[in-house]
Amino acid sequence: MQFKHKIIATLSAVALSVGLSAPALAQITELKIGNFLDITSWDPAMADIGFDGPYLSAIYDPLLTVDANGDVQPVLATSWEYSEDFLTLTMDVRTDVTFTDGSGFNAEVAAANLEHLQASARSGEAYTKVSDISVVDEDTITITLKERDDTMLYLMGLGRSYMASAAAIEAGTLAQTPVGSGPYTLDSSVPGSEYHFVKKTDHWDASTYPYEKVSIYPILDQTARHNAMLSGQLNVAFADPINNPQAEMGGWNVTESLAGWVGLQILDHDGERLAPLGDIRVRKALNHAFDGAAILQAIGQGAGVKTNQVFTAASGVHDPELEGQYEFSIEKAKELMAEAGYADGFELSMPMSPIFATWQPVVQQTFNELGITVTWDDMQMPDYQINAPKYPMFIAFIAIDSDPVANFARQFSTPQWYNPSPDYVLYAELTDMVDAIRDADPEEQIRLIKILNKRLTADLAWWVVWYQAANTYHSVSEISVTGITGMMFPTLRFIQPK
Amino acid sequence: MTKFIAKRLLAGLILLAAVCMGTFFLAHLAISDPTVALLGSSATPEQQAVLAKELGLDRPLLVQFQAWLSSAITGDLGTSWRNQQPVWDQIVLRVPVTLSVVSFAILISAFVGVVCGLIAGLNPGSTFDKGVKIATVLLFALPGFWISLMLVIWFAVRLRWFPSFGYVSPAVSFGGWIRSITLPAVALALGAIVMIAEQLRNQVIAVSQQDFVRTLRSRGLSNFRVNLHILRNASPAALTVIAVLFASLLSGAIVVEAIFSLPGLGQLTQSAAQIGDIPVLLGITMVSVVFVVIIYVVLDIALGWINPKVRLK
Repeated sequence: MQFKHKIIATLSAVALSVGLSAPALAQITELKIGNFLDITSWDPAMADIGFDGPYLSAIYDPLLTVDANGDVQPVLATSWEYSEDFLTLTMDVRTDVTFTDGSGFNAEVAAANLEHLQASARSGEAYTKVSDISVVDEDTITITLKERDDTMLYLMGLGRSYMASAAAIEAGTLAQTPVGSGPYTLDSSVPGSEYHFVKKTDHWDASTYPYEKVSIYPILDQTARHNAMLSGQLNVAFADPINNPQAEMGGWNVTESLAGWVGLQILDHDGERLAPLGDIRVRKALNHAFDGAAILQAIGQGAGVKTNQVFTAASGVHDPELEGQYEFSIEKAKELMAEAGYADGFELSMPMSPIFATWQPVVQQTFNELGITVTWDDMQMPDYQINAPKYPMFIAFIAIDSDPVANFARQFSTPQWYNPSPDYVLYAELTDMVDAIRDADPEEQIRLIKILNKRLTADLAWWVVWYQAANTYHSVSEISVTGITGMMFPTLRFIQPK
Repeated sequence: MTKFIAKRLLAGLILLAAVCMGTFFLAHLAISDPTVALLGSSATPEQQAVLAKELGLDRPLLVQFQAWLSSAITGDLGTSWRNQQPVWDQIVLRVPVTLSVVSFAILISAFVGVVCGLIAGLNPGSTFDKGVKIATVLLFALPGFWISLMLVIWFAVRLRWFPSFGYVSPAVSFGGWIRSITLPAVALALGAIVMIAEQLRNQVIAVSQQDFVRTLRSRGLSNFRVNLHILRNASPAALTVIAVLFASLLSGAIVVEAIFSLPGLGQLTQSAAQIGDIPVLLGITMVSVVFVVIIYVVLDIALGWINPKVRLK
């Protein structure tokens, strides 16, 4: 026993000395970021909205950004206004901005960029309702919509409105050679390994970007990222919450921001493919059967919040009164199953991919207790995205948005890979609510979404949410990171001196 | 000798074609639709269909393979589906990293392994020999990733003698290059050292007991000269192990490259496999097989040089 204590004490001392031996950086002039993936593409139209933010925000200025609450803020677009019918957006843009190829930014360039972004499969997600983009004058454009779209500005702010040189778009060379007007220029790089940027002293918004140099290292392995933080080679990193105690011991800042909900996504609310799921009592039983708080602690390392809703607490839609709706109780779950006529359970097939295997034992064990026999169909992640929606229910980690209207749309009403054919349309009541939300004024929209959230969560058990998981970032004591729900890795404007 | 090398090269070409074909069909079997990963989850089926046509995925598999093979023969390995960069350019960028680490690892393991194996073999039952045996068991038992992590924690995090991740090109800084590849190379070399040492030790003991060694000693040759004869006769086994290790470390580098975040072939393979970038996977396979063929041809030549009887056979 004494020997064991000695080992623990020695390891603690080593960990402590390692943590405390991080260099005291009096004035940090170079931001050294450890991202978890390499940039998807330097062409903003082909880039990923989640983790490409730090790379793209160094090179490009966007038309819009979002703040910590998910509210849209101006960047190259100085102001914007919707028409009364919400079908025409008039936007004023800056004209004092220059790209690295020497060309200037104006309304015409903005329109060319938006057309380029709209045409791409990835960035086109923000512009699905756009029917026309017109140049009014040198600093004004209008975007005409086929139907009202309350998510477009938010998605533009998240990272779907980066502006590039029109000549580079025309030449089709952006993926290889980025040409932007952003606060930094790409000084050198080893693709897949490291990217070094230097600050443009004459950038129109230089004061927002205090660091003279920025280096971004895509490091896939989380242990390698943590070791690089410990060795002082990084000062900001996408982190594993398991290392939070050591980070705090070393005086680092630990930032968490909600990223997605974890649980069971149900796609068969009318029970057409699997009759039991059509019974609300069965769906409620599934909600009672899982101990979300325990799963969050054991599997999610405590990074996140226990909730049964798909909206964040800060969204204005989340209802605290609903939190006690589904207390963990296998007995209650069994009662509900019996009431629904499934006391002996039922059989179903579910997809499985390595990414979701971490939650598989919990589901298997819980289903065993309810008498539900599950057959797992193994597949790789790209195939999971294709095939999972073909099943009536599957284990899901679904990204959430800070903007409540965008979150409502992406969780419920618009087709997504995890919900390709939203089945609310089968219910007149829900269809009417969706229509009412679409036609309401922005403030009224929030009130209506809150009512819908209550109906879906408490009465219809639309989802089986275990918890909302958070992304974790570690930064040295002199650097502060503001996590943004909707961005896997925040853009450079959210990484500032503390 | 020329005929011998030509035969080896022909066998290598057949191996290359077979491995590439296997990789191609297995990759297509494992990933049913790469367009989903390439375009993102928001792509419509129409957009996926357009991309599938652009990439030629709408054609029968055999036709796709023929098209790839005919381009590859002319040196064109195609472009990456992920970032539209030429596959060859990406491989050329990554090969020096993997080769640096693996070559340095082989250099370390060959030197240390040969010295340890020779001393242990010439002094069987000695303390040194027992020490080598214990080290062999320990290093075989300890997983490579654990050794890598310990090296990082002690030499990069705690002592800060070496970087914990990343690669520095020798063109940028020779010292930086050595520092960046030392820990990964040592991590790879530790397992290899014991294999070489163990193999050479056993071979030295076996050769030492042969009649010609007794004859050499009876002729009054110095210990040093006798040991040189022993080493020359025992070295084919060690050389074969070194060659096999070189080939296996090329693939084994994947784990080390991940832990040290090195932009080598292993990392490229990992990221290409994740999204089903088949042209990149095929390019890496082809280059790896070429390396393996070259290694074995060189081995055969070296063995022939050491022992002329091999050439005659």
